[in-house]
Amino acid sequence: MQSGTEPARTRVVIADDSVLLREGIAALLDDSGFEVIAQCGTADELLMIVRSYRPDIAIVDIRMPPTHTDEGLRAAQEIRERYPGTSVLVLSQYIESGYALDLLAESAEGVGYLLKDRISDVREFAAGVRRVADGGTALDPAVVSRLVGSRRGKGPLDELSPREREVLELMAEGRSNQGISARLVITERAVEKHVTSIFQKLQLPAASDDHRRVLAVLTYLRAG
Amino acid sequence: MSIAVRSAYGLSRHAKPVALGVGVCAVAAATAGAIALTRGEARAQTTVLAVTTIVAGCTFVAGGIVAWLRRPANLTGPLMMAAGFLLFGTSMAQADQSLPFTIGLVIGAVPAAVVAHLVVAFPDGRLHSPSERLVVGAAYLDVTVVQIVMLMFMGFERINGCPCPDNLLLVRDDAGVHSALMGGQRVLTVAVTVGLGGLLAWRWRAASRPLRRAIAPVLWTTAVTIVLLVGSVLTADAVSDGLGAASRIALAAVPIAYLLGLFTARIARVGVSDLVVELGRLSGPGQLRVALARALRDPSLELAYWIPESQTYVGIGGQAVDVGAVPGRTVTVVERGGRRVAAMVHDPALDDNPELLDAVGSAAWLALENERLQAELRAQLEELRDSRARIVDAGDTARRRLERNLHDGAQQRLVALSVALGLAETKLDSDPYKAAALLAAARAELAVALEELREIARGLHPAILSRGLAVALEGLGERSPVPVELHVDAVERPPPSVEAAAYYVVAEALTNVARYAQASTATVRVTGDDAQLRVEVSDDGMGGAAITKGSGLQGLRDRVEAIGGRLEIRSRPGSGTRLTATLPLQPRPAADHEPGDAERD
Repeated sequence: MQSGTEPARTRVVIADDSVLLREGIAALLDDSGFEVIAQCGTADELLMIVRSYRPDIAIVDIRMPPTHTDEGLRAAQEIRERYPGTSVLVLSQYIESGYALDLLAESAEGVGYLLKDRISDVREFAAGVRRVADGGTALDPAVVSRLVGSRRGKGPLDELSPREREVLELMAEGRSNQGISARLVITERAVEKHVTSIFQKLQLPAASDDHRRVLAVLTYLRAG
Repeated sequence: MSIAVRSAYGLSRHAKPVALGVGVCAVAAATAGAIALTRGEARAQTTVLAVTTIVAGCTFVAGGIVAWLRRPANLTGPLMMAAGFLLFGTSMAQADQSLPFTIGLVIGAVPAAVVAHLVVAFPDGRLHSPSERLVVGAAYLDVTVVQIVMLMFMGFERINGCPCPDNLLLVRDDAGVHSALMGGQRVLTVAVTVGLGGLLAWRWRAASRPLRRAIAPVLWTTAVTIVLLVGSVLTADAVSDGLGAASRIALAAVPIAYLLGLFTARIARVGVSDLVVELGRLSGPGQLRVALARALRDPSLELAYWIPESQTYVGIGGQAVDVGAVPGRTVTVVERGGRRVAAMVHDPALDDNPELLDAVGSAAWLALENERLQAELRAQLEELRDSRARIVDAGDTARRRLERNLHDGAQQRLVALSVALGLAETKLDSDPYKAAALLAAARAELAVALEELREIARGLHPAILSRGLAVALEGLGERSPVPVELHVDAVERPPPSVEAAAYYVVAEALTNVARYAQASTATVRVTGDDAQLRVEVSDDGMGGAAITKGSGLQGLRDRVEAIGGRLEIRSRPGSGTRLTATLPLQPRPAADHEPGDAERD
């Protein structure tokens, strides 16, 4: 499809009713090597663009006209059902764990839920977009820490060492072993050891893919 | 809708002398009949028949006088009197002279038609439907035209074999023609009787319980009378005479039946005295209705209480009631000292008994006034509940709007700002010029966000009010696109809630002026004394504004009423709008109707 020898750039569509923010995100992603193929302000337009252009990822604001409630979320779910080739990253002004978990109910493949605040950390945000576009997961740390924090009473979670908890949370955010090692400044081997220990302590079945791992961890956290 | 205000019920000045005159005439006529009777014994009519006829005539005239005195506008009284005199007149058939003899023959059957008319028109004395008019019309035709034509061919000597005076109407004594006419008259008589029976049966079926009670005596005596009368006409001599006498006796009972109807009303008055006793024992809501229903003998009675403030009726629970909404019901208004208290919604059968309605209304007015005050209180509570719900709604709406404003405005800008700063950060080393441009744009964005936050904060509460109402209103005037002339009397600082209400009245009014009024200028006037603050906003625009449900003005009215004030609007199309808020400086109970008024009447 792509001409020349350059690697294919990730194709992005941005849906947000604030032109200002849309432009900001577009500029940021453009600088980070993405190709922003379209921008729009409503869920209907978004669905039309996705159907016509099949972008690699759609970045969607939850609240859009006409009712400014959860139009973006519903559009995101429709995209995931009908266009599996397009990943979805939902942006929100508030943390609503319920929204995030709805989104990840079936599968954590190619899906993300981030607070808008995260955008200003340009490199981290770009990395998240890339991860989701490549079929991975990006769950906002605030959502994860809420899930972890909302567990009541003593349980297997208390048996985790502080380091293992950090690794668990980063796993839940959707990061790969490589990502976790970079973040915690430890070797990938050390990360693997922690992960194995966590899975043993929580009695979770081992998962091969990162996104399956996310789902397993989230299912565990939710069950609490 | 029919509203009958029962306050006075009197007779016309001339009624009593006229009634006296009618009575004297009746006595004279009865005497004449009796004399005729003694002199004409030889003829076919038996003494029994003649005596019963005079007795029936007397009861009709007497009953007619009483009925007419009590119901001057009702045709029943005059009809009964007419029937009585006609009955006397039938005695003339016993006379020796030709003229009275012939007249007696002619009018002989007319009383039967009048009685039929009476019963069909009972109780209001009017014929209501075409079928009623048809039956009564046919009855009159039968006893007048048909009777006269028949007499024209009837030779009495041949038929009765009696030494009768001349039949002055006789044209030709023709047995064939006469019997043919007689047969025709019989057919017509039977038809009229069947029609009458049908009408009365239908009336009985359709009647409500109180109405049945009222019409039963009249209906039954009349039915019996007519059956007997018709029987006497249709049967042969001996039987005929017996049935005729019996029919006269039944006939004599008809006016008594009518008077009995009046008498039951008197009995009902006894019920009123029971009611007075019962009123003293009432303990709960709804019991008054039951007691009045019993006194009026109308279980379907409903009560509605008058709320002077809103000029409407409410039920005992304070809910609005439309008294005119139910067809086939009559509304009787209970008034006291010229003030409306309540309305009794009752069966129309009671219309014919205004004295009873009057008596019950007078006996119960204090209890009604008492319930009225309770209903008024409940209506006010209802309104209070509604306005409280509206205030909560308005609060929710305001919060929602605030959230939207924050979300779509300042918050969005700040996020965009953080994105711009993030971008600038990445460019700092590689492209410092670009970074500087991004920072400049970010600062401009920040200024806009700050301005938006300021607007929202002002919407939450006008902080400027801390410097006094006059200063705050000046600010509103300056921001208004329509020029505003401001007059604020030097008044002592009102309580904060009053100041805030005054501020919002002016703010909303000026917003409306700018949005809808197409005015060239607006005037704000604030005056006050020790008791209240008056805020008036007027413009010279197109007018036509109203306080409608869900409007900003409704919310404003709720706010004003919440502190015991009043908001009024005058806005005729084409002559500008004036909004006036009267705000009490001391909180007071919102009650305009003073309970003490009632007892002073």
